[in-house]
Amino acid sequence: MLALIYFIIFALIAVGSALCVFLSKHPLYGAISLIVTMLSLAGIYGLLGSPFVGVMQVMVYAGAIMMLLAFVIMVLNGANDNRTPRFDKVSLFVFPALVVMALLIAFAFFRAQLGFDSMAVKGTVAISAGTLFDTQNFGYYLLVEAVGLLLLSAMATAVILARKEIGSKPENENSEEVH
Amino acid sequence: MELQAMYIQVLALILLIIGLATVLSRRNVFFILMGIELALNAVNLSIIGFSKTFAAAASVTGQIIPLFTIAVAAAEACVGLAVIILIVRNQHSVDIDNYSNMRG
Amino acid sequence: MIPLWLIPLFPLIGSIVLALIALASSESKKGADEGLVGFIGVLFPALAFVATAILAANMPESGFREVIGSWIDIQVFSADFGFLFDGLSRTMLLFITGIATLIILYSTGYMHGDRGFARFFAYMNLFLFSMTVLVLSDSLPLTFLGWEGVGLCSYLLIGFWNKDIKNCKAANKAFIVNRVGDVGFLLGMLALVSVGGSSLLSYPELAAWLVDPKMGEALIAGMPLLSLAGLLFFFGCTGKSAQIPLLTWLPDAMAGPTPVSALIHAATMVTAGVYLLARLSPLFAILPDVLMVVTIVGAATAFWAAVAGLLQNDIKKVLAYSTISQLGYMFMAAGVAAFDVSIFHVFTHAFFKAALFLGAGAVMHSLAGEQDMRKMGGLVHKTPVTAIVMLFAYLAIIGFPLFSGFFSKDLILERLYMSAPVSGPILYGIALLTAVITAVYMTRLMILTFLGKYRGNICESKIHEAPLSMTFPMVVLAIGAAFAGYFWVVLGQGTNCFATWLSPVLKVPQTIAHIGAESVEGPSAMVFAALGTFAAIIGVFIAWKLYAKRVPAPKGDTTPTGSAADWTFFFDKLHNVCGVLPTRFCSWFLDAVINKLVMFIQWFFGALALILGDGIRSFQVRKIRMQMGLSFAGMILVVIVVALCGGSF
Repeated sequence: MLALIYFIIFALIAVGSALCVFLSKHPLYGAISLIVTMLSLAGIYGLLGSPFVGVMQVMVYAGAIMMLLAFVIMVLNGANDNRTPRFDKVSLFVFPALVVMALLIAFAFFRAQLGFDSMAVKGTVAISAGTLFDTQNFGYYLLVEAVGLLLLSAMATAVILARKEIGSKPENENSEEVH
Repeated sequence: MELQAMYIQVLALILLIIGLATVLSRRNVFFILMGIELALNAVNLSIIGFSKTFAAAASVTGQIIPLFTIAVAAAEACVGLAVIILIVRNQHSVDIDNYSNMRG
Repeated sequence: MIPLWLIPLFPLIGSIVLALIALASSESKKGADEGLVGFIGVLFPALAFVATAILAANMPESGFREVIGSWIDIQVFSADFGFLFDGLSRTMLLFITGIATLIILYSTGYMHGDRGFARFFAYMNLFLFSMTVLVLSDSLPLTFLGWEGVGLCSYLLIGFWNKDIKNCKAANKAFIVNRVGDVGFLLGMLALVSVGGSSLLSYPELAAWLVDPKMGEALIAGMPLLSLAGLLFFFGCTGKSAQIPLLTWLPDAMAGPTPVSALIHAATMVTAGVYLLARLSPLFAILPDVLMVVTIVGAATAFWAAVAGLLQNDIKKVLAYSTISQLGYMFMAAGVAAFDVSIFHVFTHAFFKAALFLGAGAVMHSLAGEQDMRKMGGLVHKTPVTAIVMLFAYLAIIGFPLFSGFFSKDLILERLYMSAPVSGPILYGIALLTAVITAVYMTRLMILTFLGKYRGNICESKIHEAPLSMTFPMVVLAIGAAFAGYFWVVLGQGTNCFATWLSPVLKVPQTIAHIGAESVEGPSAMVFAALGTFAAIIGVFIAWKLYAKRVPAPKGDTTPTGSAADWTFFFDKLHNVCGVLPTRFCSWFLDAVINKLVMFIQWFFGALALILGDGIRSFQVRKIRMQMGLSFAGMILVVIVVALCGGSF
């Protein structure tokens, strides 16, 4: 019972801030709203008995990714085009289509043959960092190493893509070369 | 009433729809990235929700997957933002309707 | 016995050989050797004449008939190549091949020095081939083949000097007006086939079918169609023989060389219409109304053309209108069912008209191409042979006693008078008046050309007589003009040899046609002869009074002006209103309305395709979000389709 109440609270916050992401004018407002969504989702993960995942979500997602996004918005002056309207003719076509799609998926959900007791949220086997790096049992350490490589390559890619040519002009007249 | 597993799926569906709506109907390129992140979060929620209906030992996998999804989302956001920097530097606008070089 | 198909074969071989010579020599500057070409050109018609004479001498009473082979053999229609050499075709072939040989001999002298010498003789031989096929065939389709062939050769020969566009236009006019008549011929054949099947197209079968007592009911049931067939065939004859309404081509056809005018437009081609009437006489014998139409048209044409001949200044045009007028006489005779008399007039007319044309050609040759009579005169001293030839032919045409025209024309007048109680004398009066006018304009021609003082521009010492190659045929034809009439003279047992020749073919139809006609007891033949002679003398006298002293000064070209032009060009204007203007209107209508409509329909479909293309192209847009949205929409669609088809859920 209590779980339900907590769940509803978290769900409302998540949906509300998702709507704020949808409707906000300034991308920075949207980014902040998205952080709030992620925090509430982390709460739901904890409620469901996966606190490790929830903490990971807060640390990586809300803490690193959204921070990166916020920085880039501020650097690139994300609300540059103030004349960009939020919704236009295409949106009129999009909303009904997405509603239809939602209904379809819901329909598929509720008619699906689920081979498990979908009504019970069972207890927890909480995972921990040990589960990830366990080498005796079926561990996921190889995957963790692979993910590490993936992140390294992504970082390298980003640096190569977005750096300036050596010797080219500064982006605008106000900035000064810092070597 | 107890918390039932299907409620989590419904929440995940709603978040997914809102994320897709953001992707499709906003013209600012950052909002598109944010919509994608939102959709990924919704999928994570769905996976964890389903995994929690299994017996204890089997639900471990269902919790590991979202971790890796988060990592991959990080990599993707990194590279995506680099590309956005390039585009905005080139086109001097964050309106994706201006990004096409096609005529008509 | 020599086969019948040799007669057309000789001129065909000659034409092919001469065509090859003409093609081979088309590169060289001077053309082929005139001696060789002239020899070949005269040889083959002479051979055809010899073959005809041999066959004529040995012909039995019923004639020869040969069927060469099958031509068309389909379910609804069948026709054969067949030749029929009976009394009628024998008579026609004898004088056709004979006069053709003489005229081709004349042209070796007349066309001397012309660059197209070989081409001319090739065309003349081709014409002779077509004419013999026309006369010799035993069925209407093969006659039509020859009919079209002579029309083609007439076109080729009128437009022979094809550098001058007036000649080309005259050739076009001849061909096209003939073609209009040919539609009548074809529709007549169609009417006959629809009455009794395609066997009716063969002359002997047609004659047998028409008198067969067993076919009485079918005959009466098919009478409207048969009358229509008769009228249509007569329409075809007006085209070929230049009667009202299709006569406008013959005066223009004088643009061709004079031998062409002599052979084609005097002696042979224009008589094809009369020949067709005689051949189809079994059909016409039972159609008295159609015969009435024939007579009226012939009478109107004869009178109109005689007056028109009076108004011309060009010597060849006078002779052309004279030909039309004489053809009118022949049709009048055929209209009162005196077919043998009309063929006799064809026979004598061929001689004297050919002699007149050849004489006119000799006059033009001696005056270096001058055709305006107002610039001639006094030639009787300078070209005596030509003058005597033309004198003989002139006496024949006006019907001077004992010349050939006297016999034939008086026979026509006599038959006209005795055809019916009331209309007979009226027709007789019109024909007699036309004879007077004929005498007037022929005398005018002779006076202006030969008598008086020379009024032209050429130095008089240069005017010389024609060479032997030209004078020899003229003299032969003049003798024929003088004495050809004696074939009709009654010798012996109450009938004459010309009518005897024709009687196996024509006697039965003529008897049938006269059944039911009231016989008129007219005055004796001597009265008619006297009246005819008197008409001729009156005409000569009138012409002498009018033209001997005062000659109009030549101004402008030879075309008539003023009211003379109104009379002369009456039928041209009629054709313009009836034929040319509606065609122009139709073409304007098609261009302005139908063309625009078709273009609009084409534009419409093109625009439709463009709009659809643009619409589909709009899917490939620069709007990125639109692309994304459409991808989602496609995915939704796939899901829906799978669900509806009993898919995975």
